[in-house]
Amino acid sequence: MTSETSRPSAMLHGGPRQKSVIEQLLGIRELAPGLGLIVVALFFTAQTANFWSPQTMTAITTVASTIAIVSIGVTMLMISGEFDLSVGQNFAFTPIIWALLFVSNGINEWVALVIALVVACLVGVVNGLVTTIFAIPSFIATLGMFFVLQGMNNLLISGHQLIMFDPSIAMSVLGARLGTTPFYMPLLWMFVIAGAFWFVLARLRYGNWTFATGGRVGPAKAMGVPTARVKRINFVVSAFLAGLAGCMQFAYIRGVTQGQGQNYELLAITAAVLGGTSLFGGTGTIWGSVIGAFLLSAIQIGLVLIGVPGSFYVTFIGVMLVIVVIANVRLGRFGGSQA
Amino acid sequence: MSNAELHSGAPESAPEHNHHVDRSATPVFELKSISHSYGRNRVIFDVNLAVWPGEVVALVGDNGAGKSTLLKIFAGYQRPTAGTLRFMGKDVQFSTPAAARAIGIEAVYQDLAIVDQLSLWRNFFLGKEIVRKVGPLNLLDRNEMRSQAQKAITQLGLTRVHTVDEAVWSLSGGERQSVAITRAMHFGAKLLLLDEPTAALSVRETRNVLHNIRRARDQGLGVLYIDHNMGHVLPVADRIVLLELGRVVRVIDRGEVSIEELQDLIARRTDHA
Repeated sequence: MTSETSRPSAMLHGGPRQKSVIEQLLGIRELAPGLGLIVVALFFTAQTANFWSPQTMTAITTVASTIAIVSIGVTMLMISGEFDLSVGQNFAFTPIIWALLFVSNGINEWVALVIALVVACLVGVVNGLVTTIFAIPSFIATLGMFFVLQGMNNLLISGHQLIMFDPSIAMSVLGARLGTTPFYMPLLWMFVIAGAFWFVLARLRYGNWTFATGGRVGPAKAMGVPTARVKRINFVVSAFLAGLAGCMQFAYIRGVTQGQGQNYELLAITAAVLGGTSLFGGTGTIWGSVIGAFLLSAIQIGLVLIGVPGSFYVTFIGVMLVIVVIANVRLGRFGGSQA
Repeated sequence: MSNAELHSGAPESAPEHNHHVDRSATPVFELKSISHSYGRNRVIFDVNLAVWPGEVVALVGDNGAGKSTLLKIFAGYQRPTAGTLRFMGKDVQFSTPAAARAIGIEAVYQDLAIVDQLSLWRNFFLGKEIVRKVGPLNLLDRNEMRSQAQKAITQLGLTRVHTVDEAVWSLSGGERQSVAITRAMHFGAKLLLLDEPTAALSVRETRNVLHNIRRARDQGLGVLYIDHNMGHVLPVADRIVLLELGRVVRVIDRGEVSIEELQDLIARRTDHA
């Protein structure tokens, strides 16, 4: 990219002036997905009698919160310019390891959880090292990891289900119901994790480096940002959060199959993109991805409520994804200069 | 055309004739008997070159003369195969650009100056963020960085930038370099290296970049730069170093030659070779 091509013609206005309220609002990346979520909610409120019922709220928030947690990690990684296609398989791999260790082999549940999460992180370490050392696209490196983990999951529980009828303390911490509300622990954890990573991006040096690494790696490196290390750390963040969210899912459902988390790698990326994260790196927001996850979940549950076959919703999501990306490109805010 | 533009109505070109470089002081950077080879291919032959504080030195010569290799040696990308480097009077050895930056040698490249998606203040402080300690955390001191960046950018006179919170993808190549030069000055660089800073720039932008080179010089920085356009070299350079096939063949002081003579010098030298 040369300096000539990176100069869009959009900035034609002259001297300094104050930005209008509308311009300031348009500058908020979460605005568009937020409005989308409101429209979707209004639509299903009008079309169904029980969109706001406790059962529906439980369904939407539990699906949304695990996708959101996975998507937060994926967003960090996408902002730094890389992808992770292995998160969906990791979403099953990590709880399978946890469950095998403490349900089947009687190891202390907390120790087992730590071991499982360390293994999840190791997956991220391998993804990061393979991508940065061999300089191959992370798309390929993590697609390879996708198949590796899929095979591992197959090998570990070979089509069976691991079930824990009597939830342990660790499982309650990760997946229990919040009092008498229709909400469950994953939702609470989602807010904690989203808040933490919002803070990292906005307030810490590391956040600045993450944006710079994905924005343009050359200048970032020239300014002394350890770009390879930033990417590696974000691969670990992505893998860790996928594994942790998988454990929450296990704790909430009290069981895990090798099919858990199927499509989650694509849903997590979709949530991030719907939330305004660039596919080319350099831009994105944590809360946008959270809203994107709720958008996916609300559509999924809402379509079921109005009688559409459960698996059809992905068709709808697919169309919406493409429209959103086209709109972002047209608005010229997709990946900054690359638009 | 661009040269005429540079002289007409450019207030900063007026005090040029009064500018004097004190060459009795210690040079910022000195190459002593530097030679360099890529494998068995020798490209730099016994070069001696010094840049003094507040001096602009231009490296000129035809393609293959060794300009870029010399600049890379200055910037720490290449370690010379023979000879010594002296920085502020002390022998130094560095093998990475980061090490060169750490002692105050700042290289500015047109296409490596700015991260488009970051706001101006985040760009300005990238890699050198100001933090304040809150408990165990080092938080970005955003207000401090904003106000410092705002001050520096205001001096720079970027009219198209409304606030330092704006993303910088609208900045032109020249503005990017001007920001980078200002940043180098802000962080106390001693030596500024520029590789063809005016390539592909408009007349107005070229003037801005040259103005900022003078500003850096006036603050006592040494500046070394490569340029192909003699019309851009003459107005700012205190000395012009003519390279040919890896050797310094002539050092020209300010005002000794005209643009035409300079162009002839480079062309004729090459014709003979």
